[in-house]
Amino acid sequence: MLGVGRHGPTGPRVEVDQGSAPGGGRLVDPGATDALAVIAAVEGVGPVTLERLLSVCGGSREILAMARGSAGAADLQAASRDSDERRPSLTAPAATALAEVARAPERILASMREAGVHALALGDPGYPARLRQIELPPRVLFVRGADEALEAGQSVAVVGTRHPTDGGRRTASRIGAALARAHVLLVSGLAIGIDGAAHSAVVGESGRTVAVIGGGHGRLFPAAHDRLANAIVEGGGAVISEHAPGVPPSRGTFPRRNRVISGLADAVVVVEAGTRSGALLTAAWALEQGRECFLVPGSIDAQQSAGCLAWLREFAGVARIVAGVPQLLEDLGIDALAAFPVPDRAVRARGSLVPPDRPTQAPSAAAVALDLPRREGRLLEALVRGAVTADELAAVTGFPIGAVLGGLTGLEGRGLVVGTYGRYRIPESAGDRVAVSSDPAA
Amino acid sequence: MLATLLSATLIGLDGRPIRVEVDVAPGLPGFTIVGLADAALREARERVRGALRNSGFAYPPRRITVNLAPADLPKAGASVDLAIAVGILMGSEQFRAIGGRIALIGELGLGGEIRPVPGLLPMLDALARRGVRRAIVPASSALEAGLVAAVEAWPCGSLAEGVDRLRVRRRAALTSPARVALADSSAPADPLGSVGPGGPERRPFSLTAPVPDLAEVRGQAEARRALEVALAGGHGLLVIGPPGGGKTLLARTIPGLLPPLDDAAALAATIVASASGEGPILGLVRTAPFRSPHHTSSYAAMVGGGPGLAPGEVTRADHGVLFLDELPEFARDVLEALRQPLEDGRVTIARAARSVTFPAAFQLVAAMNPCRCGNAGSPSCTCPLGAPERYVGRISGPLRDRIDVWVWMPPVRAAAILGSLEPEGSAVVAARIATAQAMQLARAPGLLNARVGGRALQGICALTPEVRARAVALADAEHLSGRGTDRLLRVARTIADLDGAARVGVQHVDEAARWRSPAARSPLALAS
Repeated sequence: MLGVGRHGPTGPRVEVDQGSAPGGGRLVDPGATDALAVIAAVEGVGPVTLERLLSVCGGSREILAMARGSAGAADLQAASRDSDERRPSLTAPAATALAEVARAPERILASMREAGVHALALGDPGYPARLRQIELPPRVLFVRGADEALEAGQSVAVVGTRHPTDGGRRTASRIGAALARAHVLLVSGLAIGIDGAAHSAVVGESGRTVAVIGGGHGRLFPAAHDRLANAIVEGGGAVISEHAPGVPPSRGTFPRRNRVISGLADAVVVVEAGTRSGALLTAAWALEQGRECFLVPGSIDAQQSAGCLAWLREFAGVARIVAGVPQLLEDLGIDALAAFPVPDRAVRARGSLVPPDRPTQAPSAAAVALDLPRREGRLLEALVRGAVTADELAAVTGFPIGAVLGGLTGLEGRGLVVGTYGRYRIPESAGDRVAVSSDPAA
Repeated sequence: MLATLLSATLIGLDGRPIRVEVDVAPGLPGFTIVGLADAALREARERVRGALRNSGFAYPPRRITVNLAPADLPKAGASVDLAIAVGILMGSEQFRAIGGRIALIGELGLGGEIRPVPGLLPMLDALARRGVRRAIVPASSALEAGLVAAVEAWPCGSLAEGVDRLRVRRRAALTSPARVALADSSAPADPLGSVGPGGPERRPFSLTAPVPDLAEVRGQAEARRALEVALAGGHGLLVIGPPGGGKTLLARTIPGLLPPLDDAAALAATIVASASGEGPILGLVRTAPFRSPHHTSSYAAMVGGGPGLAPGEVTRADHGVLFLDELPEFARDVLEALRQPLEDGRVTIARAARSVTFPAAFQLVAAMNPCRCGNAGSPSCTCPLGAPERYVGRISGPLRDRIDVWVWMPPVRAAAILGSLEPEGSAVVAARIATAQAMQLARAPGLLNARVGGRALQGICALTPEVRARAVALADAEHLSGRGTDRLLRVARTIADLDGAARVGVQHVDEAARWRSPAARSPLALAS
């Protein structure tokens, strides 16, 4: 994955350098962090090359200085040659590009500023301590948001398939919301599906979350998550990438970013994963990095759970099972009381259907009567029971179709229903207010 | 000798009187037609020669010149064949016609039979406005000709019969149009004789397939309701759903749901049908037209044009429904061309030489798959991320703005198809639609809710403060533009009409809000 095995270069030397204030310094000679960002932004400069150059030259600014020299490209290629190998790891076009960039580093720095992104080098004091411990940590991170967001007392990664079931989505968002309420940092990959559900739940709880994206900034994948990314940053979280702004995501970049996700966290929770899901790769990295690994079991008939179940069977003892949201928090050593606050009248008045202290299978008639009009309560009940289309809702409730549609709009306004492609469901953010499974809440 | 006769030709949807001057002069035998005749008309020479010979007349071996006046008006079609033939007979003094202004309209076969021509109705109408009171028309178009009360039509099956009518001196107590049946022996025996250029359609105005009943659409209550609302208010409707969900079946029920046309609309529709040559016209067309052009249709086929500036599908759908299946697959310029007719209810086709304006007040009903593979929203979708959004994005903003009702049609579970009750049939729904339309027309004659805007809309909605607050809240939550809010209110007004309510209520606004365009929805809801 990294091109480096277990016995590759480890424990890179740490240079502490303070001169990285962008815009303030001289344009020609950026600080060490910015210099590193500039080098990393060049296409063809991978982690291996970067390590070799750094060990030969001694630092990022020195690399740029060499690149600016009269025979910059050739020198760089020579420097990237490993003693064991014949060919330099830096290709000629990449060396030329690097030499060019070294003469005008400001262009790359300006594009970073434009994207609202700054660089965070391995040597910088703000670099997350957890990530520093992993094998071959990223030399430089491109961060949108505050550096402080990356550090937290406790940090958990929640990952999963991009094509989850509705139940999986709900689970991810319940875990996300519980973590946010317990002030635990949630790390994920900003993909659609489980990742997006987890991030959204945290944002909905006004919590902090970190998204590690597979491509460079400005190339969000999927593009629809632009708004979510903005909300994450506005909520005090961060969106980070190993890649310079504008680098398109590709087959290789996603597995690489997975190791950063697990590296930033104390534990990884896989909510749903098929047998070939990238989420399992994150779990593999977690074990490799000495993080805890939790898997949510699912139906043995569901494709989306096949990967999780296979792991639970194969790595019994190492991979742990998620038996419920409170149980997960307990296993993680998180204060569960914080995540499940004692219900109060105020919460109910906000539109909570079921007091959180009452484990139930579906909202009872009494609970519905709390604050929803009867019609909307009946509709919600039908949704919980598995009705999906307006058609089915009309059949189950016996309401005329016009009343069903109007009621759905009412529920949508309260955030209790979302509709896509003509199917209606209870959104993740409402998952806790409309309890579906029994939680022995605190 | 010179003979001067009256005939007419068709320009777009308008009839134009034509003066046909035939000069049969001594000289080298020949036949020349002048007066901007098109290819079909130039070939009249051969048809006329054959018709004369085979009707027992002599084709004079003289120099024949036919002038079609006015000289600068391009003339198309074969409607003046009959006039030319009779003119030659008169010019060569083979018979003497009675006096008076009599127009002659009809295409000739080589055997002398008179065939129907497209656009007889507007032609006779134009002649009537010029004071013409009598006309010889093709026998099979007798009923169509009868629609123009000001003109006494003499239906004739053949050239010989026509000449006979013109020759007789006695006051023509001839067959009145209503008594001529299509199957009459005077109609040509040739089966092609009654066929217009529109195609070999013998049953007039029946669709190629019978109209299915709405009850055949199982499940899909939301889409059925959306269709009902859209038809009741004349709103643009877009149905999005995977293949096999019943989108096309739903659309094909439309002819059975629309109320019959009123007199003015029926006359307009009949003129369009006549000019389009869609087969014999047996009376005023009372059925609202339903056109469903294929998505490979060309620009000219859609908006009209071509050498004769013929009306296109938008005009043929005037006062009715234009159904576009697989909307994003239509060529971009074809879709963009729909904007003007959707806004103004008419389409102007300008060419270097002239321009014509056709009526095109159609209601747009469209259907599409949510993405290329058609399964977006279900795990079996094989499209890359963002593909559904891009697919919908092919419909340009201005066109989206003119679609008031967006409805998704998810696949129906088998249980719903097999186990559900018999849904409402077309007759029930059609009655509700007719009542709702009557309410609208009572408020504003000739204006359905879809075309009401601005202050008038506020007026007819009669919003109470409570309802206004609800509409504002919905508009704010969805970041609706002013136009988007208008669309919401328009649809709510139609729902209230279906409800028989004088005022728009909260429940109407809530229901209307279900069918906003997806662009107005939060991308977060779509993505996660």
